[in-house]
Amino acid sequence: MSTEVRHIAQKVSIDEQIVSLLQAKDKRALHLIYEHYAPVLINVILRVVRDKPMAEDVFQEALLKVWKNSHSYNAEKGSLFTWLTRVCRNAAIDKTRSKDFRQTEKSKTAVDLVSITGLSDREDVEHLYMHQLVDQLPVIQRKLIDLAYFQGYTQKEIAEKLDMPLGTVKTRIRLALKHLRSII
Amino acid sequence: MNIQEYIESGILETYLAGELDHEEMLAVDKMAAQHPEISEELTRLRESIVRYARVAHKEPGRRVLTHVLNAIEEEEKGEEKPAPGKPVGSTGNSNNPGIFSTWSMAATFLLLVSIGFNFYFFSELQNAEGLVKELAQEKTFLSERAKTTTQQLDYANLRIAHFLNGDNIHVRMDGSEISPSSFANVFWNRKTNAVFISVDNLPEPPHGHQYQLWAIKEGQPPIDAGIFDHNALVQELKVIRGEVRAFAVTLEKEGGTQYATVEKTYVKGFLKKS
Repeated sequence: MSTEVRHIAQKVSIDEQIVSLLQAKDKRALHLIYEHYAPVLINVILRVVRDKPMAEDVFQEALLKVWKNSHSYNAEKGSLFTWLTRVCRNAAIDKTRSKDFRQTEKSKTAVDLVSITGLSDREDVEHLYMHQLVDQLPVIQRKLIDLAYFQGYTQKEIAEKLDMPLGTVKTRIRLALKHLRSII
Repeated sequence: MNIQEYIESGILETYLAGELDHEEMLAVDKMAAQHPEISEELTRLRESIVRYARVAHKEPGRRVLTHVLNAIEEEEKGEEKPAPGKPVGSTGNSNNPGIFSTWSMAATFLLLVSIGFNFYFFSELQNAEGLVKELAQEKTFLSERAKTTTQQLDYANLRIAHFLNGDNIHVRMDGSEISPSSFANVFWNRKTNAVFISVDNLPEPPHGHQYQLWAIKEGQPPIDAGIFDHNALVQELKVIRGEVRAFAVTLEKEGGTQYATVEKTYVKGFLKKS
């Protein structure tokens, strides 16, 4: 491939790729959304429904909506993430109004949302290596990332849970992400 | 507020955590649209969260995507069946848009599909390049580690061999006041009188300096037992004969010295009285 073409290729952001694929009704758009946004969007949903399996169901519904309403996205109005977040939030709110949700809520006792991360078939060399890198993160930083980005806790809730001032939570999350970024 | 302050305010992290409301998110988008640094920062932050999710197995299961794709396919199949009484692809209708419009629609469609493919392949290429880079890094990392591990193993074996050698007198040298956490071991072979040093924990010598081992006999100035390389863990030094009472290591100028700089004694150990 010529350097010129490669240059152009690098200039096209993931968002632009996703949007043009969506507009072309190409399902690879969904693959890319999944690849680059799934965990962050699930977290958005978790903030509303507070239940991991349910959050995944809602995400599924939201992706279908994204596919069906792809024409309603307008890049001039806001970013892809903002649009995806809105679709996911709305789907989550719809869910909380459903009978299904109320029943789950009733049967749910105080379950800690910490997920047990089992071994998967992706436990290959690359993963082991990355694991070692991630293991360098101090426990508290991992905890903060976990709560804020994978368990749908707000900064205020984290402050209460960990008994830390809100300002400190904010700074520490920022530091944790900075640290994370430097290692992976 | 300047851009750096904006980035450092933590708003981007809050944005990605999904904690801002829609209007606040749009405000961030506006900033990002105006300042590429902000949008780059957002992409980098998001990608590291997503990569972390992958590594820490916090990703949602693939089944979610499979379900969505299946559902879409099912719907598409349903749509393909022509609705009764509504012929598909009829061109006889004079109300239809002109032929040019049909052609341009088709052309636009093909163009979009083609653009789509391009993006897809570009993205695949980028992914592959990323993977190659990661694998190369990993390879370097692993081979470095293998090298260090082999060295450590050789060292451990050599050290054990010296410990097990019945002809060896073992002297442990402990850290002095100037370096209390230091230690090293000397093995002195009774038969050959060869002296070996095992460098265990000595601080990195300052530039232009080297450690030197001394054998100490009663009523005599310290006897030079050889300079040694701080990085090589077990080394054979000079041959020392006679009634040695102690061994000590001093820090000296590179190349060593004839007379020990006693104030710079790092470790010292006495022989057990036999």
